[in-house]
Order: sequence, then C-alpha cells, then structure tokens
Amino acid sequence: MKEKIGVYICHCGGNISDYVDVEKVRDVVEKEEGVVLSKTTMFACADSAQKEIVNDIKENNLDAIVVASCSPKLHLSTFRNVAERAGLNPYNYVQANIREQCSWAHTDKPKEATEKAIRIVRACVGRVRYSEALEPFTIPAANIALIIGAGVAGMRSAISLADMGTHVYLIEKSHFIGGRVAQMGELFSTDEKGEEIISDLYDEIKKRDKIQLFTGAEVVSVSGSVGDYKAQINIRPRYIVPDCDMNKLKEAIAECKTEIPDEFNFGLTQKKVIYKAYENCRPEIPAIEKDRFNPDQKFLEKYKDCIDLEQKTETLNVNTGTVILSTGFDPYEPEDGEYGYKKAENVITLQQLKRLIELSNGKLEYNNREIKNIVYVYCVGSRQKEGENKYCSRYCCTAAIHAALLCRKKFDSVRGFHLYRDIRTYGKHELLFDEVSRQGDIFFRFNEDESPVVETANGKLQVKFRDILTNNEEVAIEPDLVVLVTGMIPRKDSSTVAGILKTPVGSDKFFNEVHPKLRPVETVIDGMYICGTCQGPKNITESITSSLSAAAKSNSLINKGEIELEPTIIRIDPEACEWCDKCAEICPFDSITKTEYSPDGQKGKTIALVNESTCKGCGMCAPVCPTDAIDIIGYTNNEIESMIDGLIKEV
Amino acid sequence: MMNNNMNSPEQISTNKLEYDVLVIGGGIAGQEASLNLANNGFKVLMVEKDLSIGGKMIHLSKVFPTLDCSACIATPKISETARNPNITIMTYSEVEDIKRNGNGLKAMVIEKPRYVKADLCTGCPICEEKCPVVVEDEYNYGLTGRKAAFIPFDLASPRIAAIDIENCTLCGACERACPPNAIDFSMEKKEFELSVKSVIIATGFELFPAEKKKEYGFGQFKNVIHSMQMDRLLAPTRPFNNVLRPSDGRMPDNIAYVLCTGSRDLSVGNPICSQICCMYSIKQAQLLLGALPMTDVTIYYIDIRAFGKGFDEFYEQGKSMGVEFIKGKIAKIEEKENGNLTLKYEDFENGGKTVEADHDLVVLSVGILPNKDVSGFFKSEPIALDIHQYVKQEDELMSPAKTSIEGVFVAGTSSGPMDIPDSILSAGAASAEAAAFIRSLK
Amino acid sequence: MEQEKDFVPKILVFSTDKISDPGIDLAGQQHIHYSPSVYFIIVPCSAGVKPRWILRAFNKGFDGVFVAADGTDCPFSADCSEKTGKLVAYSQELMKKEGVNPARLKMAAVCSVCALPFSNHMKNFSKALSGLGNIQSEKYIDPEEKEKQK
Ligand SMILES: Cc1cc2nc3c(=O)[nH]c(=O)nc-3n(C[C@H](O)[C@H](O)[C@H](O)COP(=O)(O)OP(=O)(O)OC[C@H]3O[C@@H](n4cnc5c(N)ncnc54)[C@H](O)[C@@H]3O)c2cc1C
Ligand SMILES: Cc1cc2nc3c(=O)[nH]c(=O)nc-3n(C[C@H](O)[C@H](O)[C@H](O)COP(=O)(O)OP(=O)(O)OC[C@H]3O[C@@H](n4cnc5c(N)ncnc54)[C@H](O)[C@@H]3O)c2cc1C
Ligand code: SF4
Ligand code: SF4
Ligand code: SF4
Ligand code: SF4
Repeated sequence: MKEKIGVYICHCGGNISDYVDVEKVRDVVEKEEGVVLSKTTMFACADSAQKEIVNDIKENNLDAIVVASCSPKLHLSTFRNVAERAGLNPYNYVQANIREQCSWAHTDKPKEATEKAIRIVRACVGRVRYSEALEPFTIPAANIALIIGAGVAGMRSAISLADMGTHVYLIEKSHFIGGRVAQMGELFSTDEKGEEIISDLYDEIKKRDKIQLFTGAEVVSVSGSVGDYKAQINIRPRYIVPDCDMNKLKEAIAECKTEIPDEFNFGLTQKKVIYKAYENCRPEIPAIEKDRFNPDQKFLEKYKDCIDLEQKTETLNVNTGTVILSTGFDPYEPEDGEYGYKKAENVITLQQLKRLIELSNGKLEYNNREIKNIVYVYCVGSRQKEGENKYCSRYCCTAAIHAALLCRKKFDSVRGFHLYRDIRTYGKHELLFDEVSRQGDIFFRFNEDESPVVETANGKLQVKFRDILTNNEEVAIEPDLVVLVTGMIPRKDSSTVAGILKTPVGSDKFFNEVHPKLRPVETVIDGMYICGTCQGPKNITESITSSLSAAAKSNSLINKGEIELEPTIIRIDPEACEWCDKCAEICPFDSITKTEYSPDGQKGKTIALVNESTCKGCGMCAPVCPTDAIDIIGYTNNEIESMIDGLIKEV
Repeated sequence: MMNNNMNSPEQISTNKLEYDVLVIGGGIAGQEASLNLANNGFKVLMVEKDLSIGGKMIHLSKVFPTLDCSACIATPKISETARNPNITIMTYSEVEDIKRNGNGLKAMVIEKPRYVKADLCTGCPICEEKCPVVVEDEYNYGLTGRKAAFIPFDLASPRIAAIDIENCTLCGACERACPPNAIDFSMEKKEFELSVKSVIIATGFELFPAEKKKEYGFGQFKNVIHSMQMDRLLAPTRPFNNVLRPSDGRMPDNIAYVLCTGSRDLSVGNPICSQICCMYSIKQAQLLLGALPMTDVTIYYIDIRAFGKGFDEFYEQGKSMGVEFIKGKIAKIEEKENGNLTLKYEDFENGGKTVEADHDLVVLSVGILPNKDVSGFFKSEPIALDIHQYVKQEDELMSPAKTSIEGVFVAGTSSGPMDIPDSILSAGAASAEAAAFIRSLK
Repeated sequence: MEQEKDFVPKILVFSTDKISDPGIDLAGQQHIHYSPSVYFIIVPCSAGVKPRWILRAFNKGFDGVFVAADGTDCPFSADCSEKTGKLVAYSQELMKKEGVNPARLKMAAVCSVCALPFSNHMKNFSKALSGLGNIQSEKYIDPEEKEKQK
C-alpha cells in the first residue's frame, strides 16, 4: 500500500479550471488517506511543472503520484517519464482524466463537474495506493521487415530499410513489379516516365543483398507478434522454365494465338496469354495466364524447354520483425452508364487516357477517330453525395490537368474543356493549372447536385451541363472524347489482406493509421505499418514520403535486435488455479498453456502458464476463470474495486 | 546550457562539438526528424533560432481534420525531444555557415545572448512583473503586449526568461528582483564549431505579411486580422477569454474569411497555393460556431482545397454546421464608421458581378512563404532553391528529402507548403535518408 | 416502481483503452454533454471485465453499469462482442440471484469516433434507469425464483 502520495490537479490553462473548481478538488483530495501533498498547477505538462513534480517526489520521498488533467491518451507516458526521472517506478503513477471526461463533457454544469472531478481523483488515489512497481521486459526482435506490395511505395521502403541495415522480404502479388506507376507514362511534377522509374528502382533493389524480392507472391497467413512474426507466403509459378532460351520463348509467344484483354492498358488492347506486363517490365521474364491457356500437345512438346505447365505453387515460410503494407489502390471503375461510360461512345477514364497517350504516335486517336476536343469530367467516383466514396482523391485534379498539358504538347491542337467542382491543384501544382489555362483550355464549374449528362445524341457524343460561373447557363459541348477523371479506391482484394493481418480500415475503407498526426504510418498492431496509397489517396511524392517514414519507424523499432514490452500482462495465482483450460480456450493469442506446479517439491498439480512475450494483456481470460485466479497486472481486483469505491463515495 | 541534457554545449570545455546530425529548426518537422534519429541511436544537435522550440504548431488552437487540441499533441513531442538523451538543443542560436569537411560537414553556430542564465532561471516570473517596458507580444501576433524581460509563452521549452535587449531600457529592475540572480547583462554571443555527418533543414515557413495586400487594409482597419491571430484567439492558451473584435472588444456576429490572401496571386509575387489555408479556415469557422453560437461565418473562396484524408468530409461538416461558402474574389475592403467592413467582391456564381457585403470582423487567410534564411546557411557551396525559393527537392518523386548537397536533407515546410500530417511524414522521410546516408559513410 | 423526483442515476461505464475510451474522450472534445453522474473505469478490453466488479458496483450504490464494448474494432479478437456478451449475460444471472434487475447492466459497442452515439446511449440508459429507480430501493425478484416460491 502506498502511503506517500502526491496529487496534482491541472488547470489546463482554463480548459479544466473554467468549469471545475480545481482548488476545491484539491481541498477535498488533500484529506484522502495516503495523500501527503496536493497542488494545483496551470499546465501540468509544461516543462517547469514537470520539474516541480520531480523535485517534490525527491524531496518528500513520494511513493506514488496522481495527475488529474487531460486524457491519459495524451500524457500518460509524459508523466510516467516524470516519475521515472525522479526515481519513482512509472507504474506508481495514475492519470485522472478530468478534462475530456469531465470539464469538457459538462461545460453546462460546473457544480456537478467539480463534484465528479473530486470523485474521479479520489478513485485514482484509491487505485494508486494498490499500484505495483513494474519493470518492462525485453523480447528479441529479428532485424527483418516483410514488405507486402512492390509498387513504388514498397520498393522505395525496401531500399531505404536495406540501407539502414534491415533485411527485407519484398513480396509482390503480380508477376511484375512496379504497381500503377509504370502504367501512367509521363508523370507530374517532373515529366519523368513511369516505366523508367520502375526500372531504376528494380536495379537498385537488385544491387542490395539485403533485399529478397518475390513476385507472384502473396501472404496467406501471419502469426506471432512484433519482433517475431511468422508469415506464410505462396508463390505462384510463371510456368516458364527458369533460365530458358529467351529467343525460343519469343518464338513461342509469336506462335501462341490466344489473346485476352490487357489490363495493363485498362482493356484498350489485347495481350497474349504468354505475356509481359509491358515491353520493358521487370523482371523481364514473361509469365503465363494458365487458366486462359489451352495449347495443344504439339505446342507444349515443341516448347517444353521454355514452358512448363506442371510448375506448382511454392510455399515460403519467413520470420520477420515487422510488416509493412504497401498494397496500393485501384483506380475507380465507373459503373456502366455513369456519365455515359460504356454506354455512349468515346467515354474513357483518366487511366485509359494515360495509356492512350502512351500508345499513340503523333496523332491522338480513339475508335478510329482523331481526337481534337476533350471534355474532362472531374470527381468521378470521389466526393460522392450519394455513393460510398465521400472523400476527395487528391491526385486527380493535378493528374487530369497534367494529362491535358501532355495532350497539347504531344499532339497538335488538342483542346480541353474541364468540368469541375473545385480545382484542387494544391501547393506548387497550381502552376500546372495556370499553364493549361494560359494555353487555352477552358474551365466550367458544375454544381454537385446537377451533374453533367453525357450521351450520344444523333450519333454524336454530347455533354450537357449548367455552368455556375456564367449564371447557371446551360452549355452543350460535342467533344471527340470524354475523359472521366476517376478517383482512387481501396484495392478490391484489400479486405483479404486486412483479414489475414487483422489491420483495421477506416470509414473510407483504406487502411487506417493510429493517429493522423502522431502516428501516421503505424497501425494498432505493434510492428505493422502502412504506407503509400493503401492508407489513402496520394501522388507519388506523397507515397514515397510515407514509405520512407514507415521505413524509419520500422527500422528504429527492430534495429537493436530487441524490443521493450509493457509489463501489463496477466498473472496467474498458482494456488487458486485448478486448470480447467477455460482461459487457454478463450485467449486469442494462444498464450496460455499448462504446466506442473509443485512449490514444495511434493506431488504437484496442473496449472495454467502464461507466455509473457505473446500475452497482450487484453484480460479476456480473467472473467472466465471459475476460481478467479487471474489478475490483469495494472487492473487487479484491488485496483479496480478501490476505484469503484472511490467513485461512489459521497462528496 | 539550454536544457538538462547530459551533454549540453556549455559543459564541454572547448567550443568544438561533434554530432551525427545537425537538425536546423525545432518545429514539428525538426522534432519528429530528431526523435526518429535519436531513437535510432544517432546523436543529434537541434539548433533553434527562437527562444523556444515548438514552431508554429504550439501556438495553434485545434487542428484539422480531427479537431484535437494542437498544444496537447505538440507538448508531449516537445517534452520528449527536450528529454531525449541523444538530442541536444541550442535555442536562440543560428547557423552561420556549413562547409564540406572531408566526408562530413562543418557548421558554425552562434548562440545569441538571452541575458538570463539558463541554469539559474526558475521561470518564476518576477522579472516580468518588475519590468516597466511593454511591447507587442510576437507570440500572440501583436494581439497583446509583453514585457522586455519575459518568458516567451506558457508552453515554452525551455520555459525560462529572456531580456529583449532592443527594447530594454537597462533600468535594472529585473536584475535587482530576480531571486536566483539569473540576469546577466554582460552575456555575449558564443560561437560553436560543429562536425556533423548529415544535416536536416527544418526551418519551416514564413507567414505572408498581410499588410502587403494593401487592398485588404490590414494594419489600417482594426477589425481586419489575419488567421494566425484568429488561431491565437481560439487557442486554449488564448490571450482573452473570448473571441473579441479589436476595435471595441465586442463579440463579432458576422465574420468573413478571405481565402487565398497572398497566395495564387501574382500581384504579390506568389503564384502558388498555400495548401493549408482552406482547411484551417474551415477549422476556425467550425470552432467559431462552437464558441459564438449566434455568429455567422462566411468564407469567400476561389476553390475549396480539401484534399487530404478526411478533409472533404470536414468541409461537408462545416457546411452542415452552417458555415456559408461564397465563391468570390475579394477586390477591396473598406472600413465604415462603426468599424464594420464592406467587402467588394467578384461574385463568380452570378456571372462575375461585383457585389458588396458587410461584416463586423474580417479574417485574412494568409498564405505561407518560404523561409529565406536557408540560403545563408551554405555560403561556400550554395544550396539549390526552387523558383519559389523553397529548398529544391533534387529527386522529387523518388527521394523527396534530398537536396542539392550530399548529406543535407529537407523536412517539413522548408521544401514547400504542407500541413502537419505531411510535415511529420516528410520528417520521417528525411530521417530515413539521413540514417542511411550516415551508414553509407562507414 | 416509484419515480423519484430529481433522481439522477449513477452509471459506471467500463470503457476500453484503445477503442471506446477514445470515443468517449471525443465526446468531451466536442463538448457533447451527457449526465455528470456517468463515471468511467478504463480496461484493456471489454471482454476482460470481471463479473465481480460489476456486482461490486451495484453493491456499493451504482444504479447502472454500462460496458462500452470494443465491438468489431477490438484490436485483440474478432469475436470480442460475443465474449463480452457472454460475460454480461453471466453477470446478469448473478445479479438476478442478488436481487438486482438485470436491466441495470447494459452493453453496446462504442467505437473510437462514436462521440454522439455514446452520449445517446447515456441519455437512453439514464432514462431507463430513472424508470427503475434508485438501487437502494431495488425490490427486484427473479421471476423464476418467484415461481419456485409459489
Ligand atoms: C490515372 C492516374 C495517373 C496518375 N498520375 C500520376 C502522376 O503523374 N504523378 C504522380 O505523382 N502520381 C500519379 N498517380 C498516382 C500514383 O499512381 C500513385 O501515387 C502510386 O501508384 C502509389 O504507389 P503505391 O506503391 O502506393 O501503390 P501501387 O502503385 O498501387 O502499387 C501497389 C503494389 O502492391 C501490389 N499488391 C497489392 N496487393 C498485394 C498483396 N496482397 N500482396 C502482394 N502485393 C500486393 C500490387 O500488385 C502493386 O504492385 C496517378 C494515378 C492514376 C490512377
Ligand atoms: C493560421 C494557421 C493555422 C494552421 N492550422 C493547421 C491545422 O489545423 N492543421 C494542420 O495540419 N496544419 C495547420 N497549419 C500548418 C502548420 O502550422 C504547419 O504545417 C507546420 O507548422 C509546419 O511545421 P514545420 O516544422 O515545417 O515549420 P514551423 O512550424 O515553421 O517550424 C520551423 C521552426 O524552425 C525555426 N527556424 C526558422 N528559421 C530558423 C533558422 N534560421 N535557424 C534555426 N531555426 C529556425 C522556427 O523558429 C521554428 O521553430 C496552420 C498554419 C497556420 C498559419
Ligand atoms: S482531386 Fe480534384 S478531381 Fe480528384 S476528387 Fe479531389 S476535387 Fe475531385
Ligand atoms: S490477457 Fe489476453 S493475451 Fe494474455 S493470456 Fe489472457 S487472454 Fe491471452
Ligand atoms: S530571470 Fe529571474 S526573475 Fe526572471 S523568471 Fe528567471 S528566475 Fe524569475
Ligand atoms: S489552400 Fe485554399 S486558401 Fe490557401 S491558397 Fe490554396 S486555395 Fe487558397
């Protein structure tokens, strides 16, 4: 039992003291059993106040402290550190939340808020009396990262981690690396080519022994915990014989006649079933879409040195310290009929336009028609009033305007008409907007309640809308092509990954960070990070920035070879435990096994044993124990029950 | 001695110091980069020009889009930075020159005299009480006054006094009153020579000086204020208990926001968009509706740029709370006799007609400008800047933190406009690059 | 059941460190009001609340106990709701035996951004408890027991 407790009640500038009479709280709490010192303070978290607490602890030999201030989510660790600096065990500190859960929630009732604050602080004093000194313990951590998804974000993260000394398994679901960037041709803001960026990254990866890249690879299960994850990875075969004669394989491709839609070109063209994602793709070895491949025996026999349809999926088991998710996004695919998509002729998406620009030479053509006038409709699939995607996709205004500039640069006299809600060329991208306006593209603003109508009328493609900027006048344009400026959505298969890794998604269905400001690349699961567009829409620079950030966090967690863990797990009372296995059954982390217990060397009994490095301290096992043998450290019966008593005691 | 770290500069007898990384600037970006590197085992020296670390963020009210209290997120970070055994902080110090030195870099740093001995001052603040001189308080952006002997602000780190020698009359009142005799008018600047392996520039941004947009009357009309002042008025550490209009201390009931003040505007030489002002204006509008429920808030905009995660939803929330959005470009602001203001604007939604509207308080959503100090850091091997004078990102797509000088990286708003989440991410990127770079030297 | 005037039921909420407590914090941050007789104890996970704590709360004078469950957001286990549900049902059995109306114990999932839903829960639960009256005057008899006694 702690008998020399110090209590600090914070004004928080006024955030608390405008509603809670902090002096009164102090006066009451001062008389609580065990309290030897109690003070109010303007900002408990300020440096000077922290120093004061340290001095108080030392001078008065305090054995526990309570700070009544904001939510422990903000300052628990701050004040634990204060305790530690004064030589007090950090777990002999309890934070009383009298701001978020008192002053701010009851700004309308200052008298009641003050009474509530008194009860809260008393409860915390009661609790801290039973607090135990605890020591964090360390677990070994492998200095290895598993990166899932080899788009630009995943690859750049891998390179950075390797350069900081971490070993990397980089796995890519597709047979070819690079993700979406390779598809996008010339890119804003530097006009570099996507394909070249990907080849360069690939070369950098190949230079580093610390990176092992697997293509056609997917995680099927992940177990274990931070520092020691075990992942099972399935590697699909390419059905190409390793190190085969490339010329012969080329012959085979030439001879193969089966064609399927080429998703690299978003269905604009066909590709062979034996294919490369694109001519200069990496790795350069082709792959076969086996499900769509029905060659005759003769063909197989002829090319048996190159093609082997008997190849099987391989399984790889790896150990890793951390996991980084960089699985990217899907471009939004409009529904049939949405702005005439797939209904009216010559309506395509922005991603198709980017491919079309790449595939065209000198002349921009679609459906055998030379394109001179393009209407761009913005925010397709984003900022939806009715639909699910409430968010803005961030990249698309800039990407559309950049594409319009590209069209003007590469092909003669292509004009753009832009139908937008807000132009979001934020930051320096504004210069692109200025440039395209200067070159003569025209901008119309439509109202979100009255979307433009795209249809084929009398054999002609027509776009009708009301332009807010000219008194809501109805305007009709007959362009050669309509480009739907589509947004980013979470990958269709991302829920599978989320299921395997148990990483939460937000209301927009992208993977969710713990806190957008404090921990933007971390997930609620220790040692699992998210970066690039799987966390939310981003352009390349932003994807890379977040991927480097994830690399920095991941590396600093595991590069010492061990990780410090919280000691707040469970404790099993061997005397009380009768091994019924109820706790082992309920534990989601399989942290409980049985062991023999024989304290006096005599014939023992079977009891439950907790694995301290995997127990998360969730406490799910505690309520099911019929003999109440399980205590959650930091939440023992004494601690919780003294809180209950403190909260109810009359003021 | 600037903080209670073991290896503060003064404890080392010579003025020659060695660190792995020099981080210039102690805003949110500088702190995040320093912490990442320190947690990775590197020794970091943070040089901050101001009397306290914290940058702009520590002075903000709440932050979009989650509306959490800015100081509450910033203070733990500041504290963590100040306490980290691998980080040494020099406040009120400036980098004079950085040169190549073999594999690494050599930096000259000057610590300016604050005329208060840091190791003695308790922040009591008796000197402040005794000092007879009152000047404008820069930390409240001129909304209030402060003394010439003063503690910068409540949440300052270090929270100790300084003497503003420019305004001090040398009356000696503070010196006589200071209980621990911390005040020392004979202090002089000190020079330090540092050897470092890598440098991170995190010197942040400057606010667009609102008076430069003459048509808007800032500095002339009392009830035209700028957005940083409004963030102060709304902050938990706010100077007054409520949002009051400067001319008569009355609560405003019809507030206007003028977006893109000093941004997207060639007439003031800044063609680019500042990226944060739409969002902070919507934030302030929501906070105002909470603080002054009877008040109308109108936002005059060109485009609303709510592009980040949760931003557009935040914009919609603002609309549904009753914030009015008018697409219009303000041509001129005029003052009326009662201190109210008439805004003349081009109403885009009505064919570009010029329309007038009256408001009793106008907030100019000022944009952000590059911090020009950076070019002074590298006198012998100048660092490349982009056309807007931000630090140039040499490999913008694949290595956004790289600058034109090997081993020198950039974090936060030094390379262009960005909000807090993006500043933190960019600091993460800079620290990853610096860590890899230092390893490559071995 | 008597309706006391000015009776404000005292509610004990078990909230969870990572999920529901942040949601409740958010209610405060947005200055959303609920009854000041609502008190909180944070636990790691709602499926870790011991029935004896719940009974203790009633014995000491709380009029209601509310378990702000992690629901599907639980960082520990996908079937957290089910597990929490079980311990709530078990606690209700114990309450019946002690003559406490099981309606005084309630659980609902509260997520980390559920500020408004949480305050609504509190409003509704307060109302329901007002109907049941002060715990001191509790005269609940388990219907099954009643049956047996006959
Ligand atoms: C039309 C269009 C034009 C664009 N133009 C530009 C531009 O000009 N400039 C610019 O800066 N940005 C542009 N962008 C944005 C740019 O494409 C993205 O920022 C970038 O692709 C994001 O990279 P990423 O690594 O996060 O994701 P992705 O590129 O999507 O890569 C993700 C990778 O992960 C793999 N993967 C997914 N799931 C799994 C799994 N379960 N297991 C293993 N691997 C998996 C995928 O196969 C893929 O290779 C454009 C986007 C579009 C749609
Ligand atoms: C009115 C307003 C409201 C805002 N609201 C929000 C919001 O709600 N949410 C949000 O996300 N963002 C908001 N922002 C943006 C936010 O302030 C910035 O994103 C953030 O402060 C950038 O951090 P930084 O570290 O890059 O720069 P800064 O905060 O500017 O820090 C730079 C630091 O470097 C120091 N320094 C400068 N020059 C030198 C030198 N020569 N030598 C040494 N040190 C130097 C400075 O003193 C300072 O400490 C707002 C901005 C404004 C103006
Ligand atoms: S970036 Fe532009 S086009 Fe894309 S969703 Fe946002 S506003 Fe719409
Ligand atoms: S506390 Fe949770 S993780 Fe630990 S043993 Fe019990 S059920 Fe398992
Ligand atoms: S300088 Fe002296 S008087 Fe001023 S705050 Fe410091 S200790 Fe107090
Ligand atoms: S962010 Fe908004 S207010 Fe700021 S410059 Fe850009 S468009 Fe204008």
